[in-house]
Amino acid sequence: MGQYRMLVDVTKCIGCYSCRVACQMENDLPPDQSYISFCEVEKGEYPNVEWVMHRFSCLHCEDAVCEKVCPQNAISYSQTGAVVVDQEQCIGCEYCEKNCPFGRAKVELCQDKEGNSVSRANKCTLCNGKVLEGMTPACASTCYTEAIVFGESDEILQKAEQRLAEVKDRYPDANIYNPEGVGGTHTIYLLAHKPEEYDLESDATTPASAIIWKDYAQPLGKLLLGATTMAVIGGAISNRLFNKGEHHEGGE
Amino acid sequence: MSSQQNRRLVKRFSKTAIFVHWLNALAFFMLYLTGLPLYTEYFHWLYIILGSAENAMILHRIFAVVFMTPLIIALIFDRQSLVHWLRQIFTWKKHDFKFFMPFAKEFFGLHSDVPKQDFYNAGEKLNSLLQLSMGFILVISGVILWFDQFFSASAVQWAFVFHNIGFALAIAVVVGHVYLSVGHPNSRVSMKGMTKGDVPVDYARDHHGRWYDELKEKEKQKNKGA
Repeated sequence: MGQYRMLVDVTKCIGCYSCRVACQMENDLPPDQSYISFCEVEKGEYPNVEWVMHRFSCLHCEDAVCEKVCPQNAISYSQTGAVVVDQEQCIGCEYCEKNCPFGRAKVELCQDKEGNSVSRANKCTLCNGKVLEGMTPACASTCYTEAIVFGESDEILQKAEQRLAEVKDRYPDANIYNPEGVGGTHTIYLLAHKPEEYDLESDATTPASAIIWKDYAQPLGKLLLGATTMAVIGGAISNRLFNKGEHHEGGE
Repeated sequence: MSSQQNRRLVKRFSKTAIFVHWLNALAFFMLYLTGLPLYTEYFHWLYIILGSAENAMILHRIFAVVFMTPLIIALIFDRQSLVHWLRQIFTWKKHDFKFFMPFAKEFFGLHSDVPKQDFYNAGEKLNSLLQLSMGFILVISGVILWFDQFFSASAVQWAFVFHNIGFALAIAVVVGHVYLSVGHPNSRVSMKGMTKGDVPVDYARDHHGRWYDELKEKEKQKNKGA
């Protein structure tokens, strides 16, 4: 199975919120919860006013920080390219939320199997179940201006370039947001303006702290703990061997 | 060694010192047990023992508060022992540095001559220094993680790193500290110092020679005075 990608073309978005509603229905979310939220800013002064907005949700990074820091291995990569949460493994520790370079992983109150309210990581799955069945994510199939399109990874990248060329004369700052710092993402944006105007960092990347923490500090710490534990076990055994029966209380 | 001297005891730790030591130990181990499953997946079964991950999180916060109290209790009720401890662990002389090689031999049951040690031997000094510094690192990073809404995203992200490093360095030495006090045949008598407060004079002479000399000196002067 090839990997997939989603393109959100903000130049075509009219802010109708139907993707949000479709998402809530698809994922059985209460009215106040959604994997999609809207960032809306009014720009300029009358009469040159522009309504800068984009719909945002998890970007599904190729090198996802949330997957790296999750102590439960509850976050994984799907074969579709989506980054998905297994809520039965999740304990709501918020490591993903605190380390996401985009602030898109959210820990919220969810219902568990028994219907109890529990804190769990809750985010866009790129409709992983539907995509595995050969269908299109709910938001993409609902969007009637075709601002959200979904398809094979490479085809979507081409489509993004094509659309960028189309809008370049209208929006000279237009760009494709597919941050290299996290290895690229499976939801990319065609932005009309610089990423900063949408509260997006153009050089978003895996935080250095997460790399030091997970690639160096933790493996070394485990090694150190293993080494001292082995020394103690070794010491206990060799004491048995060398000091048979001649333990002297308080002396040498 | 004379059997008469063997029975004689000498005071090592005050009641307050003993209390704060065990309060610190309790908090340390509860924090360790409730944090371990987040550190390595081999200990996820601890969640079952603790009831749930949520319980572990609550207990971790309760014992985090307990963990901060020993220093305050010592400061209020037994400043003398606290100052003595701090002064000792920050004083490093030749006999301290020369402690480790022969100690390693003795640790594995071989005979060796460890140079005369202070009231706290170099191993205890190292453990104390690590616990004290890691304690500060863990408390500061822990406060940032707990009250994250008051700190910037990158402060919180770095707090994870420091909490992780503090955890590893603090526990690595504690494994040895616990073994030496309950397991190792030559040093486990020192445990009496941390339970009843007294240790045999022979133990003081053989393991803390410089302290023993100080005690003898004091006794001499007392006798002179009398």
